[in-house]
Amino acid sequence: MSKIVAITGAGAMSECMRQINPDVVPAFPITPSTQVIEDFSQFVADGKVDTEIITVESEHSAMSACLGAAIAGGRVMTATSSAGMALMWEMLYIAASMRQPIILSLINRALSAPINIHADHSDAMGARDAGWIQLYAENNQEAYDNLIMAPKIAENMDVRLPIMVCMDGFIISHCVQTMQLEDDDKVKEFIGEFESTYPLLDTVHPATWGALDLQNYYIEHKRAQHMAMKNAKKIIQKVSAEFAAFFGRNYDLFESYRLDDAERVIIAINSVCGEIKEVIDDRREAGDKVGLLKIRSFRPFPYDEIAQALEGVKIVTVLDRSESMGAYGPLFVEIRTALFDASKKPMVYNRIFGLGGRELFMSDIHDIFDENKTYLKTGKVEKMFDYLKVRGG
Amino acid sequence: MKNKYRLKDWQELPIGGVVADGGNSADYETGTWRTSRPVWNAENCINCLNCWVFCPEDAFILKDGISKKGTPRKEIDRINYYHCKGCGLCARECPVNKKGKKIAIDYVKEEH
Repeated sequence: MSKIVAITGAGAMSECMRQINPDVVPAFPITPSTQVIEDFSQFVADGKVDTEIITVESEHSAMSACLGAAIAGGRVMTATSSAGMALMWEMLYIAASMRQPIILSLINRALSAPINIHADHSDAMGARDAGWIQLYAENNQEAYDNLIMAPKIAENMDVRLPIMVCMDGFIISHCVQTMQLEDDDKVKEFIGEFESTYPLLDTVHPATWGALDLQNYYIEHKRAQHMAMKNAKKIIQKVSAEFAAFFGRNYDLFESYRLDDAERVIIAINSVCGEIKEVIDDRREAGDKVGLLKIRSFRPFPYDEIAQALEGVKIVTVLDRSESMGAYGPLFVEIRTALFDASKKPMVYNRIFGLGGRELFMSDIHDIFDENKTYLKTGKVEKMFDYLKVRGG
Repeated sequence: MKNKYRLKDWQELPIGGVVADGGNSADYETGTWRTSRPVWNAENCINCLNCWVFCPEDAFILKDGISKKGTPRKEIDRINYYHCKGCGLCARECPVNKKGKKIAIDYVKEEH
C-alpha cells in the first residue's frame, strides 16, 4: 500500500532501489559512498531483493563494474557522492558513450580540498559534459519520484543513456522528512521489465563492445549520442506525464513557482528552492511580484522552454552552488544562453552560494530579492558576479 | 551497386559503437599494410601446413587433396593477399626453407 513515511533522503533512495530490484549494484562500501548503499545492502542481506551487490575497492571500479554488468545485459544501479563521483570520472564518459542506461543516485557534496563533504553541486556540475542525464530534486519526495522515473527515461530505446538522480547532501540525504512511499507492486508495474541491447551474455549473438573508433567514425558516434540526449528531453516529459497519471504528482523539465506574473525571479537547483518558495509566499502576500524557476533537468537543458517561461520577467538572479573558477557559474551560463535570443531580455546576474554546505537562510533570500529590486529600479546590475554570505565581501 | 567502402552516416551506426555481428574482421582488408609479400611455390611445397598454423591472419587457404599414399588430406591452395600483412612468419617457419635446398615460400619486396 502507498503510505506516508518519515524517512531520510538517502533512505528514500534505498527504498526506491529495493522497489526497482536491480540485477546488479556495484558500490564502494565506505565513505564518500552514501547511506543509500548501507541501507540497500541491508535489503540484500535480508533477502528483500534479488540483487547481486558487488563491493569494490574504489569508485572507479564501481562504475567499471556497473558498465560490465550493464553490457552483460542487466539493470544496474549504484550510488555515490563528492570525491567518489570524481573518481568515477573516466568511466562516466564510457558509460554514456557506450549508451548503457546505468542509474546513479548522486548525493551532491563538495569536492576537496579542503576536505568537505557537505551540500555543494561541484560533483555533478563537473560531470555535466559526461553525457549523463541529470535530474535534480528539492526534497526527498522529488528525489524518490525521480528515481522511480529514472529507469523508464534511461532505458527508453530513443535514449539509452545513463542517468544521475541528484539531491543535496545532508540537507536532504540525512534529514528526515515525510513523503509518500508508493506501493512496491505499483512501482514495479510502472517501471516494467528491463530490455537489454546486444548483451554480452547472449552467446548465440556475440557482440563486441568498446572497440577502437578512429577519425573516420568517432564523431559520428558522438553525433548519435547528442541525438539521444536531445530525445531525452521529450522522453522526460512523456515519462513525467505517465508518472502523474500513475501516482498523481506532476513534474516537468523545470518547475515554475508563482512565475506567471512575476517580475523578479530566482533560478536555482535542489534544496534551497524550498526556502525560496517560503520567501516568495511571504513577499507575495505583501504584493511583491517575485517567483522561482527550479531546474529539474540540467542535462538535457531546456533552453527554449526556459526562455518561454521567463517571458515578461524583468530581472533574474541565478544561484549557483558550484564554482567554475575563472568563469560564471554553470547554471548562469546556461540561463544567459537561453535568454540571448529572447525578444525582451530580462536583466540577469549570477550569485555563488552555499559552497561546502554554507547555509542560505530565508533572511538571505529576502536580501537577494531586495537587491534585485534595487537593480531593477536603477536599471543597472551593480555586480554581475558575486559570492553570497562570504566573510570579507 | 552499393559502394562497400562508403562510410556510414551517424543515423546508420549501431548503438554505442557496438560491433553487432561477430567475425566481421574478415571484411577488413589488411593486405594494404604489406611492405613485403610471401610467394608460395607449389612445386616445392610438402603440404606440412606449418605456414597455415603460424599465419596470424589465416591467409593460407586450404583445399582438399590426397597424399602420395592415397589418404585424404588438406593441402595449401593459395595465399589470400586481401588479409596477408606480409609479416613473413610463413617463410620463416617453412621446414623446406629451413633445410635450405629448395624454397617453398619466397619472401620478396612488395611492388606497389
